[in-house]
Amino acid sequence: MRWWLGLFFLMGSGLPLTAAPHVVGYERFCADAVSVRGGAILYSELGCANCHGESPVMIARSGPNLMDLSQRVERDWVDAFLKDPASGREGSAMPSMAHALSDEDREKLLAYLSSLDTNPKYPTARHANAEGGSALFHEKGCVACHAPTADFKAPHEAQDSDFPLAVSLPDLAAKTHFKALAAFLTSPSDFRSDGRMPHLPLESQEAVDLAAHLLDFQSSNPRDDAKPLAKWPKVATGQIEAGRAIAKNLNCAACHVLPDLESKAVIEIKNTKGGCLSGDLSISRPSYQLREDQLKSLRVFLGADSKVLNEDPHLTLAAMNCYACHERDGVGGPMVETNPFFVGDESLGDSGRLPPPLTGIGRKLKSEWMKGVLSGDTGKHVRPYLKTMMPGYPGHAEVLTTWLVKLDKEDGLDDWPAEVGDLEAGRKLLGTHGGVNCIICHNWGEKESLGISALDISSLNERLHPEWFRQYMLNPASYRPGTLMPALWPGGRSTIPDVLDGDAEKQMAAIWQFIADGEGVPDGFPDFRPGQFELIPDKRPMIQRTFLEGSGTKSILVGFPGGINLAFDGLSGQPALVWLGRFFDAYDTWFVRKIEFQKPAGEEAFAFGKIETDIRFRGYRVDEGGNPVFLLEHGGKNYEECYTVVGGMLHRKVTWESGDEPPSAHPENVSTERVSANNAVKFLYSWK
Amino acid sequence: MEMRRKALAVILLAVISVVAAEEPAYQVKNLLSAESPTHSRSTEWKPGEGIAMEVSGMEWLGADTLAVSIRKGEVWLIKNALAVDPSEFEYQLFASGLHEPLGVTLEGKDLLVSQRAEITRLQDSNEDGVADAYLTECDGWNVSGNYHAYTYGPERDGEGNLWVTLNLGMGDLANNEIGWRGWGGIIGSRGEFIPKALGMRSPCGLGANLEGDMFFSDQQGTWIPATPIYHLRPGAFYGNQESLASLENPAAPFQLSEIPKPNQTYPEAVNSSKEFMPPAVWLPYNKMGRSATDIEVIDEDGRFGPFDGQLLVGEFTNAAISRVFLEKIEGEYQGACFPFLDGFPAAVVRLAFAPDGSLYAGMTNRGWSSLGNRSYGLSRIHYSGMSPFAMKEMKALPDGFELVFTKPVSLGSLSKGSATMISYTYEYSSSYGGDEIETQKLSLRWGDLSIDGMRVKLEVDGMRGGYVHELRLDGVHSVSGEILDYPDAYYTLNRIPKP
Repeated sequence: MRWWLGLFFLMGSGLPLTAAPHVVGYERFCADAVSVRGGAILYSELGCANCHGESPVMIARSGPNLMDLSQRVERDWVDAFLKDPASGREGSAMPSMAHALSDEDREKLLAYLSSLDTNPKYPTARHANAEGGSALFHEKGCVACHAPTADFKAPHEAQDSDFPLAVSLPDLAAKTHFKALAAFLTSPSDFRSDGRMPHLPLESQEAVDLAAHLLDFQSSNPRDDAKPLAKWPKVATGQIEAGRAIAKNLNCAACHVLPDLESKAVIEIKNTKGGCLSGDLSISRPSYQLREDQLKSLRVFLGADSKVLNEDPHLTLAAMNCYACHERDGVGGPMVETNPFFVGDESLGDSGRLPPPLTGIGRKLKSEWMKGVLSGDTGKHVRPYLKTMMPGYPGHAEVLTTWLVKLDKEDGLDDWPAEVGDLEAGRKLLGTHGGVNCIICHNWGEKESLGISALDISSLNERLHPEWFRQYMLNPASYRPGTLMPALWPGGRSTIPDVLDGDAEKQMAAIWQFIADGEGVPDGFPDFRPGQFELIPDKRPMIQRTFLEGSGTKSILVGFPGGINLAFDGLSGQPALVWLGRFFDAYDTWFVRKIEFQKPAGEEAFAFGKIETDIRFRGYRVDEGGNPVFLLEHGGKNYEECYTVVGGMLHRKVTWESGDEPPSAHPENVSTERVSANNAVKFLYSWK
Repeated sequence: MEMRRKALAVILLAVISVVAAEEPAYQVKNLLSAESPTHSRSTEWKPGEGIAMEVSGMEWLGADTLAVSIRKGEVWLIKNALAVDPSEFEYQLFASGLHEPLGVTLEGKDLLVSQRAEITRLQDSNEDGVADAYLTECDGWNVSGNYHAYTYGPERDGEGNLWVTLNLGMGDLANNEIGWRGWGGIIGSRGEFIPKALGMRSPCGLGANLEGDMFFSDQQGTWIPATPIYHLRPGAFYGNQESLASLENPAAPFQLSEIPKPNQTYPEAVNSSKEFMPPAVWLPYNKMGRSATDIEVIDEDGRFGPFDGQLLVGEFTNAAISRVFLEKIEGEYQGACFPFLDGFPAAVVRLAFAPDGSLYAGMTNRGWSSLGNRSYGLSRIHYSGMSPFAMKEMKALPDGFELVFTKPVSLGSLSKGSATMISYTYEYSSSYGGDEIETQKLSLRWGDLSIDGMRVKLEVDGMRGGYVHELRLDGVHSVSGEILDYPDAYYTLNRIPKP
């Protein structure tokens, strides 16, 4: 293990090492003051509800699946964890049972656990890219809950931050092995069904890379770094049976799924002073090393009427840590220290990198769509520019959807528009021929927008309730302050008087109708043919600057009639490229906002050699024939290079005032002839 | 008595309000605009035909010729550009093949234009109306190939310095680590770029005031919570920390005494670093538009109305023009912004006063949407000679503000509820844009109205230095019954004047 990884585990959380359970929803929102809410979150997240009933959180907290433990986890690690959970993972919610387990009992319990083996086969990976895994870890959203790797620099802001609320990771190299970790990351819900570690839409290779990062692999061949799991010893049947009896007595099945054990009946809480919170560790009680504030909040909660809390959306969103990424009604969302790790398309502002708010989400999304999103269906991901992935909650999507819809319930969400919208007006309004120009910013199916690339609006009727859409159109900023989406009907008034008599309601209905109809494309996508903006120098040379591959960011392209073309590099003051055939397609250079490096239109290109010397480019003149005369300076002396095409050859005439000939290099695989004169030299380049 | 006076005011108002609205103070004539936002990319277009007038720079040459640079890389000369009928304009292609020019300035007989990698001097040595020399006037900044690394200017200040500002890169290929990204500077005598100030994000508009001091506009985005207008001067830091890397360049003209820490209020951050210069004026997001562009001073001796000496600022998203009043408090500029004109056919990107005192607005919607639904355009704004009823100036006092109107105000309309004010600031943070924070409602009292009715004091309790003070006047009207053209004004109170 590299030294920094050790530091990360020790210091990453920024908290003093403590045995107290770390429940992020509680620590973030409730640790300041004793509250019923805080107690409710703890009651759920410490698993109290598993023995005592009535979870105030929509999805009950459970412990991990213990099947196949002997194939996944080091026996020594489990042994130590049973003695002291906090030593296995800082802030673990697993209560200590040390007081109830003698060394012999623990042996028996381990024997029982080793019997829960279904002989799984974890896939083998031939290749692992730990660096790629690090990028995934820091970009895809892991850092919303877990601390970043210590030497990783956040984009935007290079502040040294603590991550006091991060959910700590165990020493994974000591706990598990590579293949099992990759299998876990491929499908966390198989191992942790309660969604606290949600399901990530990772490709299997991505899970492998992520595992390699978490285990700090140095080689791309996993066999160099992966160490096998130490074999758990064979055990006698009597030991297993004795272990099962202990597990039954300790009620392990209350939190963990065990194939042959059931949870005990609900244990009623008689008073809030005694029992698990009393510090009296009689034989079967779990021991939580609670801080004073945690203890007080739990007691306040237990003394309150818990039913009051059932309608509180905050509890579930805090407990499941939805707030790590999303805000709702101004609560939650990325924290100061995690915010810089949310990256995406900066040209869309914060909406291009931060997950959307959950404010009124039950009014916004149609329930089928929401269910799809929550179940982890990546086909329902409409914001490809967000690097952070929306995780899935398989098995819980139905419950969560029903709950969110009920929370935000509002009648008539699908009653708008009262009248069928005008399809043709909708096409016009969405488009750019006298419309409100939606497609300037928004993609439309496969068609890219004309400017910034905001989300695809071609099928938003599948996602959104129409009434929500209407309200959003009227004032986008009220849903998402600071959004780049303008109010297209400022003050409810239309800026387009000649469509549907400037009636804002009818115009919005028309847009909705056109989208819902699903046929056709808004007006205004440029219907240009490939090569339409090709520059064709048929009479005189043409000159165009751009970013050109092989020539750089200050390239001056010259196309001569006859199919010989030149790129002159204005940074080095030297010719960079010559190519034959077609000259250049100027569409991107002239019109595309996010221009990338361009390529010559012709196929056959020849690179000039480059001389490492200081030549200063001073611009160019255009002679009467339209040929460029580049003005250069070397060693304090001015000189010129004039390029012309004569008889199928490129002529490069270098003239200088006095002294030595300026340096020049020539293209490879091109026939070069040299003709000297007084203070001038001409190079004739020709092709067979 | 009190009752009677009120009653009188009501009667007066009832009588006066029937006075018909006169012709608008400013008449906007659209000289040319695209048929659609994609007009410039028409299938019918062939190289050498038509003009995609996506205006990126404007400069008047002599009495009737307007030079216009356009996004696709050309400079056009429009001759007879003061003609009432735009069909009488004559278009001459002066220069082509440029790499995204975003400004054009006359220098002697030549034109200076910005390109991504240099400022270029366009010379027409044989005087045939077409440039035949494209000479490197200034270079020396990093151009990584990232689309967002724009170059703006040059723009001349009162001392003759030519200022250039350099956009930050963003996204793929962006490299703000080297080469003065996020800096502004001047063109040196040997064509070198002399860096002068840093902390910019997207400083797309430059313009000097009557005193010759240079100002620039920047864009809401990372580190910049709302739209700012800054006084541009050597040694200043404007807050965007993505530009700090170039401080390690040996040619850096100065160092920051302290790098302000993020996640504190803007005034706190400003106070924490002596080079940190706050905006002279904030243009609050949405309320004053979303994206300021060009800055142009009104210097027309009344030919453009009563606002001489003030700055006009183009507005992209709202296809509008804003107005800025500045004053100096303790030697530093601060002041107020006011909405001015809106409803242009496309995003207003460049402004230039014509020799006859009318204003030309050059437009393009390139890359963004605006409330103007044409891809480009050119409009001319005439002052009708009939002054609007407007808040002309809003001046800070130790205990409030003095409002100066363009016409005498009706005393009766200065009632208790007719003025409301809130103050707020922003968080200094690396986030993309920011909300108004620490908003407070302030209690106000009208002071004395001047004898000519043009000036009135507004006493304010609890003014906060460094905060934006947003004023709204409802029901205030002139003695002749006109209501204000716009009821709102936003004063950036960096400094409270000492008594």
